Amino acid sequence: MLKISQLRANVAGRNILKGVDLEVRAGEVHAIMGPNGSGKSTLAQVLAGREDYEITGGSVTFDGADLLAMPAEERARAGLFLGFQYPVEIPGVNNAYLLKAALNAKRKKAGLAEVDAYEFLGLIKAKMKFMGMDESFLSRGVNEGFSGGEKKRNEILQMLVLEPKLALLDETDSGLDIDALKVVAKGVNSLRGADRSIVLVTHYQRLLGYVEPDRVHVFADGRILKSGDKTLALELEARGYDWLREGRVA
Amino acid sequence: MSAARDQDAALRSFEAAWRARPEDRIAAARADAMQRFLALGLPTTRDESWRYTSLRALAGRPFVDAEPAPPARSSWLAGVCAAPVTIVNGRPSSGAPQPAGDPALTIESLRAAIDRDPASLAARLGSIGAAESERWALLNRALFVDGLQVRVAGRAAAPLLIVHSAESARDDAAVHSRVIVDVAAGAEATIVEHHLGGSGHATLVNHATQLHLAPGASVEHYRVFSSDERTTHFDALEVLQGAGSRCRQFTVALGGAMVRANLSGRLDAPGAEHDSYALLVGRGARQLDCVNAIVHAASRTTSRQTARALAAGSSRVVFNSRVLVEAGTAGASSNQSCRGLLLSPTAEIDTRPQLEILADDVKCAHGATTGRLDPNMLFYLLSRGIDRASAQTLLIYAFLDDLLTGMSLPGARRAIEDALIGELPGADLLRSYR
Ligand SMILES: Nc1ncnc2c1ncn2[C@@H]1O[C@H](COP(=O)(O)OP(=O)(O)O)[C@@H](O)[C@H]1O
Ligand SMILES: [Mg+2]
Repeated sequence: MLKISQLRANVAGRNILKGVDLEVRAGEVHAIMGPNGSGKSTLAQVLAGREDYEITGGSVTFDGADLLAMPAEERARAGLFLGFQYPVEIPGVNNAYLLKAALNAKRKKAGLAEVDAYEFLGLIKAKMKFMGMDESFLSRGVNEGFSGGEKKRNEILQMLVLEPKLALLDETDSGLDIDALKVVAKGVNSLRGADRSIVLVTHYQRLLGYVEPDRVHVFADGRILKSGDKTLALELEARGYDWLREGRVA
Repeated sequence: MSAARDQDAALRSFEAAWRARPEDRIAAARADAMQRFLALGLPTTRDESWRYTSLRALAGRPFVDAEPAPPARSSWLAGVCAAPVTIVNGRPSSGAPQPAGDPALTIESLRAAIDRDPASLAARLGSIGAAESERWALLNRALFVDGLQVRVAGRAAAPLLIVHSAESARDDAAVHSRVIVDVAAGAEATIVEHHLGGSGHATLVNHATQLHLAPGASVEHYRVFSSDERTTHFDALEVLQGAGSRCRQFTVALGGAMVRANLSGRLDAPGAEHDSYALLVGRGARQLDCVNAIVHAASRTTSRQTARALAAGSSRVVFNSRVLVEAGTAGASSNQSCRGLLLSPTAEIDTRPQLEILADDVKCAHGATTGRLDPNMLFYLLSRGIDRASAQTLLIYAFLDDLLTGMSLPGARRAIEDALIGELPGADLLRSYR
């Protein structure tokens, strides 16, 4: 599904990604954990196609295609979804409109007709109910005046509507209370399937109690330092990151 | 032919036009204005309020009065009112304008008003054009050919649409027209002035509107500029507000080669409230220069100014607002918010909110920001599969959203949105979006 080799990138002239290697196969859930400022969000945004981040080396294939050669909108239509760590507020752009336009962009690429307005409304209302969101969010501006938790739910809602092949969720769990965390986990789990992959960037073990990962990676200083199964997450929780960084890793 | 004399061509032609006019019953007031105008001359970029807009090219051209003409096109705002009044080249088109069939409204041509009661009319003309920055209004007083006097005595049943159409087959025509609106105590009206026309010729339009609100009066006023890309507008709007009166004013510039729109508001008695909104759309080589000056001359007066400026192509948009809170007032409150969005590297937006506070007890805030489309917003939309052109279009429209939603006359808002969408990239998308 996703294969990253020796990916290097600069942000504002500073080298942030320093040779990332990662392979995610169809049906897998991966967790990326690591200290603040280590470049996790940079990686997620580079994968989603943020232009002002400069790629200086390496390659990424997505479903066999050269991901880095595609503009951001093409990546989304090809089935890549980024749940932002800090979803931006866009006053004046209607939330429901964005959902519909995003879905139609994807359908167009797949050679399908635009979604019927009535059908769309039914779909969206069902998904909102599933996410415990009030329908009034539809008529508001994108993320406008949403609380932190509401923004995260809105990201998951978009993900559920778009049904991506690969979802990158950047700290979708941070800042959520336990109930919201459960709702988000429910949304993520509902997307799990043999033909989909999920990459969770997270700070805490907490989410992983609800969404069980196949692989866990430790990300530090712009690269993946260590990979393992879900027990690695527990070890990190207990021991922090320092033991890895002090070069005691074989 | 010396350069110095060249630069006076416009001035000398205005003087000649004035001398050629048959004397009317306010000739003394006109002569006084003309003498002052000639003494001041045309503004140059050395004048503080004109530093962004050069009139050099215009000053070198002679102008003649636009000929009387039939109305050539209809207003896209016609839907807001059943019986619009049309003014072509400064003259009400059907001679005496038809009363709107509304007992609260009395409309007559300014010519008729001059003939009926020259003394009181002459006394009314002076307040606008007093400041040096209002030289075009001064010239307007000397030269306006006709216009309207509107009296609102009660609650107007429907909005009044005044269509100003400038049509000439020449490249040197000038139109000078004026509208005077008196809103009686407690009366209410919505007035829409639509400036359109051009027919591809380099017409100069010098218009003035005076809006006088008696105590407790309430007005929503629109002035919309949508002329072709060869028309130059100088527009002076004066708003005088009595106690507890309320004025909401929308200035919408979507056309013209150049629009200089002055708004001078005076909150003359306690409790007066003034909201003005400017929606300025620059594209091509258009120049928009919006200058607001609001004076808080009494206690507990409130003013809010909101501007959204958009500049594409090599256009230049200026929004200059000045608030003065006079000494001896208490509890005045003022807010100025101006946001600019640059859509091309060759476009320019200049904003200058200014405050002069001579009283102690005031609440004032102002903010001005100008930038490009927010890259985070753009990336968010792209990351959802929205194509770049559509994402940009949506963000541009979103930028204007809160100004449009402030318009409380649905017909006007709808028509202005339609016209605005036609000026923006991605019109088809926006039509389906809205
Ligand atoms: N837009 C930016 N401009 C400059 N530096 C940035 C920008 N975004 C992130 N950085 C820097 O890049 C580094 C990695 O940040 P980030 O990828 O957000 O880390 P993480 O998500 O792991 O906390 C940090 O040092 C951060 O300060
Ligand atoms: Mg991060």
